[in-house]
Amino acid sequence: MAEAIVLENLDKYYPPAVSGWRALARPFAGLTEASLLGISFSVGAGEVMALVGANGAGKSTLLRILATLLLPTRGHASVAGFDVVRNPAGVRRQLGFHTGGDGGFYPRLSASENLRFFAALNNMTSAAATERIARVTELLGLGEALHRQVRTLSTGTVHRLGLARSILHGPAVLLLDEPTRSLDPMAAAEFRNFLRDDLVGRHGTTLLFASHTLTEVEQLATRVAILDAGRLLACDAPAALLRSTATTTFEQALFKLTGRTLQKAPA
Amino acid sequence: MIQKMTLAVRKLTIFFLRDLATARSYRAAFAIEAVQALLGVAGFYFVSRLVESPQLSRALPQGGNYFAFAIVGFAFFDYLAVALNAFDESIEQARQNGTLEVLLVTQTSLPMILAGSVIYPFVVMSLRVVVYLGWAIILFHFPTHNANWAGALIVLLAAILAFCGLGVFASSYLLLFKRGNPAKWLLLGISGVVSGMLYPLSVLPRSLQTIAHLIPVTYALDGMRAALLGHASFAELWPSIGMLLLFAIILLPLSFLSFSRALRRTKITGTLTHF
Repeated sequence: MAEAIVLENLDKYYPPAVSGWRALARPFAGLTEASLLGISFSVGAGEVMALVGANGAGKSTLLRILATLLLPTRGHASVAGFDVVRNPAGVRRQLGFHTGGDGGFYPRLSASENLRFFAALNNMTSAAATERIARVTELLGLGEALHRQVRTLSTGTVHRLGLARSILHGPAVLLLDEPTRSLDPMAAAEFRNFLRDDLVGRHGTTLLFASHTLTEVEQLATRVAILDAGRLLACDAPAALLRSTATTTFEQALFKLTGRTLQKAPA
Repeated sequence: MIQKMTLAVRKLTIFFLRDLATARSYRAAFAIEAVQALLGVAGFYFVSRLVESPQLSRALPQGGNYFAFAIVGFAFFDYLAVALNAFDESIEQARQNGTLEVLLVTQTSLPMILAGSVIYPFVVMSLRVVVYLGWAIILFHFPTHNANWAGALIVLLAAILAFCGLGVFASSYLLLFKRGNPAKWLLLGISGVVSGMLYPLSVLPRSLQTIAHLIPVTYALDGMRAALLGHASFAELWPSIGMLLLFAIILLPLSFLSFSRALRRTKITGTLTHF
């Protein structure tokens, strides 16, 4: 299996968060706050990998580096053979990215106008965009929302619109940050089916997604990377992770790997 | 090559249509703008009647009346303001509605995104100038008998290129420091005083006249007045056009370099979407 995503000894440091006079005195502070430390793994073409970890573990930072929105401090990362630092334009030609937020649209344009705009920026012809928008929005249940201004849509609908945008141009590699966060359970299940059966199963799209929903991880991912405080604790198939941690559920495995214990509420 | 150009035109058009659709959703704005333009032109007309004198007319480089001199200066100076504000506003807006990251992961280059973001403001500015001049011609006897409209258009295009260089340069600051833009206000402030927007350069002290010749808006206003009021031929307009193109050739690459460096810095610090 050819590698679609490769990470080698990836480090990411940020400057310390300072404000007020200190920020004024040192506008270009050094990079001292570690977010990712020595991350190495690869994702094969057509594979589905999940990133799991607590808030602040480095999942979003990792996805943003792959999406060319952040620069790594050290190490290398490539998408479909294109280095994220040396050839970001090459990376973007292969990429679909959903930031996980519920924004990222022009609120006074309709959903359809927004999708057409971003389709054009991804070099889709008008005819191809029309056909693809019809198909993707039907799959995501966005038909009725298509001609309404985005500012009038619910959070969940805008989230679905974001997912539609990320797959509209048929990317070879798809990065999703908490893809079903604002979706109702049925929409989330439908979207997972669509990802597994259509995008990955039929079109061979490589999928790397971050999620806090462990059932989602178990249903979709062929391998799971567990991050904690910027370090990669494990990277394996879900069943292998359970075996290696001698646990029966994914939740237990996560606690064991991170060395945390479940706090009981006081009686 | 032709395919790339077609794609570029299509992308610029889609940016324009995006901003047009947003503006269309605020229906009353254009009508209010037209009335505002009328009031602005009327104000200039009555002030110019107060100060009009043969002495003043002789002091103007193209002769003629002060009203025409001032209205051209006022209308075309605004192109500089548009160039300096439009890049900043598009970045600020994209940060606030969360589209900045989404735009940057598309298959569209940074210069194209920047260019696309300012097409609509420049088109609206041009319509505003048409309304200004329209009111001035219809109601206040703005002289048009010997205007070189084609020459004026070329001066305008060269000026827009030079001003965009300044605009992109200034917006690098916003990208890095998030709020306030001293570079923009300094440029607008200095240009407002020394470019000869409302008075001829000859009234300025020599030191300010020297500064005036170092900023592009001076050449833009000079060329525009020469084309519209001074019956200037293309050959006579060439010094102004040449200087504006020289500014563009120097400023545009430098400004894109500075913007790219600022963007790179935000990708290192993770502050791209902070505001």
